[in-house]
Amino acid sequence: MRCLLLGYGYMGRIRHQVLRQHPQVKEIIVVDPGVDPAALDPAVRLWPKGKEIPWDQADAVLVCTPNNLTAELCIEGLRRCGRVFCEKPPGRNWEEFSGIAQAAQQRPDSILAFGLNHRLHPAIEAAKAMVGAGGLGEVLYVKGTYGKSGGLRYRESWRNKQEISGGGILLDQGIHMLDLFCFFLGPLEVVDAVLVDSFWRCEVEDNAFVLLKSPNGIPAFLHSSATLWKHTFRLEIGCRDGYLIASGLLSKTGSYGREQLVIGRRQFEDEAFALGNPREEIIQFDRDESWEKEVNEFLQAVTEGRPPRYGTLEAAANVMAIIRDVYRLQKPEISERKV
Amino acid sequence: MRSVQTQQRFELSSVKPFERLAQYRKICLDETRRALSGPVTRREKSPVSGAPLEPFGDVEGLEYLRCPETNSLFLAQLPAWAEWAKLLEAVGRVRQSPQAFHLDLEQSRVENVYLPKLEWIQEALRLQGMASPILLEAASPPSTFGRFLQQNGMFADVVTVDEMKLAHLRETPAALKGRKAQAALLLESLDRIDDPQGLIGGVRANLGGGGLLFVTSLVASGFDMAVLGLRNRYFYPPDRANCFTLRALTALLEHAGFELIEVSTPGVLDVEIVESHLKADPAIPVTGFEKELIASDREIRSAFQAFLQEKGLSSFARLVARKKG
Repeated sequence: MRCLLLGYGYMGRIRHQVLRQHPQVKEIIVVDPGVDPAALDPAVRLWPKGKEIPWDQADAVLVCTPNNLTAELCIEGLRRCGRVFCEKPPGRNWEEFSGIAQAAQQRPDSILAFGLNHRLHPAIEAAKAMVGAGGLGEVLYVKGTYGKSGGLRYRESWRNKQEISGGGILLDQGIHMLDLFCFFLGPLEVVDAVLVDSFWRCEVEDNAFVLLKSPNGIPAFLHSSATLWKHTFRLEIGCRDGYLIASGLLSKTGSYGREQLVIGRRQFEDEAFALGNPREEIIQFDRDESWEKEVNEFLQAVTEGRPPRYGTLEAAANVMAIIRDVYRLQKPEISERKV
Repeated sequence: MRSVQTQQRFELSSVKPFERLAQYRKICLDETRRALSGPVTRREKSPVSGAPLEPFGDVEGLEYLRCPETNSLFLAQLPAWAEWAKLLEAVGRVRQSPQAFHLDLEQSRVENVYLPKLEWIQEALRLQGMASPILLEAASPPSTFGRFLQQNGMFADVVTVDEMKLAHLRETPAALKGRKAQAALLLESLDRIDDPQGLIGGVRANLGGGGLLFVTSLVASGFDMAVLGLRNRYFYPPDRANCFTLRALTALLEHAGFELIEVSTPGVLDVEIVESHLKADPAIPVTGFEKELIASDREIRSAFQAFLQEKGLSSFARLVARKKG
């Protein structure tokens, strides 16, 4: 299989590494005019700057560019190749996402997947296995915190420039947590939201507080932040017969802490000595295969000519609809504060 | 791979009381001596690394050897396997008789030993997306855990086999009726079996591809074993003819064609076991740090026990592995 990798930044490099290890991938062409060929590993085949993108040389296209290029390249990739993996977010806004979705519909044989790898993290997979009948019972509520500290070069990053990224921390990182909410609860409706640009003053939100509910009224609450000075990932799932707390992430730097899942079982006075302090089990994980699973599934779907199971168009639509509604509710407030 | 910590708390007296251990321990040692009084074979090589075993010491005259590469401990001499099988069966019956403490503490052992094990198996099956498997339990007869497995309703079928026959005869158990098991259980079997590799091979042969193997074991790398060594009153043959380190146990399973899914040491009794020994015999040599720890308050001891769990340093190990291929 020949793969065309558009964009060789942070995510492009991660995808490249996974592609290189895949037995079916025979060739990877990297297209990124911003990359200096002299600074690259000679094993990376970089397409010459200024030459037209070699769409005809690809069996699959992976779009890992800044957000302002995502929709255009995905649409072209769907038209010219038909098999596209799109890094999150799927466009800067709902309109751009709709353009991608429309391009996919216009080509019924197309295969389209989106990079929403958090569902495939081991703590999340384990949490998913524990909810429902025979486990901890149905979900009562979901609460998530996902945030980072920004850093000295935060303001310079394209991720925080409205015209390039389309939004702030909610679109950049919060999208993953929203996807996890949908993973556990299905499509969600926005109840309320507060977005602020409280510290970085980048004209996009650096903190988002979003209250949501499922069609049958199960609440979910997200805090997405670029001012969490201690990097944090924490997803709490309250269930009828217990609770789950997924925290930490197996990431390259390890800055989010060790990935673990706390499993607590509800115990009232008849079962436990101290009410409200039930016995917990903590599962620690040491292997994150989410990147491999995600790309492998996309390539398998391409090989078999079927829709991918992960990062589906429906999953992307669910999160982009939430983000659209939150921004509609809250964008003016950010502008006013800035003034 | 994952590791699991637990906040389950219980006291040594509720599952294996120090004072009441003596009678059962003496029977075990006497029966072992009797079994070793006939023709015996000396173990030369480590079943894990193949390295020549080194002298290490003895438990009331019964010699133990050490694997220099893994620090695992092995009873030096073994009789013919049929003799060893008789011995395991005999002490198994003692555990279920008034001569041992197990019957008197049955309710507490159900709550603190058996039910948490069932919960562990149930949770692991759920996490692996496996529903109603056929379970192969290898144990020394009569199995005490078998009835809990049967009554639980979590398995399509539970087939209990004599671990010694599985290790040595390599016959497909008739009760499997030509089927392969999807899960297998070795509760401390690897500690007492005379041929650990043979037992794992026997289990593997009867487990379908992707099948899960559940193992519990006392490990020599755990805190109370590391501090007390052969002075540990809970360490005696035939129940502990082998005492692998955690590293050796994982290597044993990997070499046998299993992929590790869980490697945990969720023990809760390490500190209390050391304390009980020091109370009974203050002359046991321990470091100043260990003395301080034993003398410290409940909060510090709990935190230390939690640390042992988290870092794989408790002496109670539990593993889940998947058969490759």
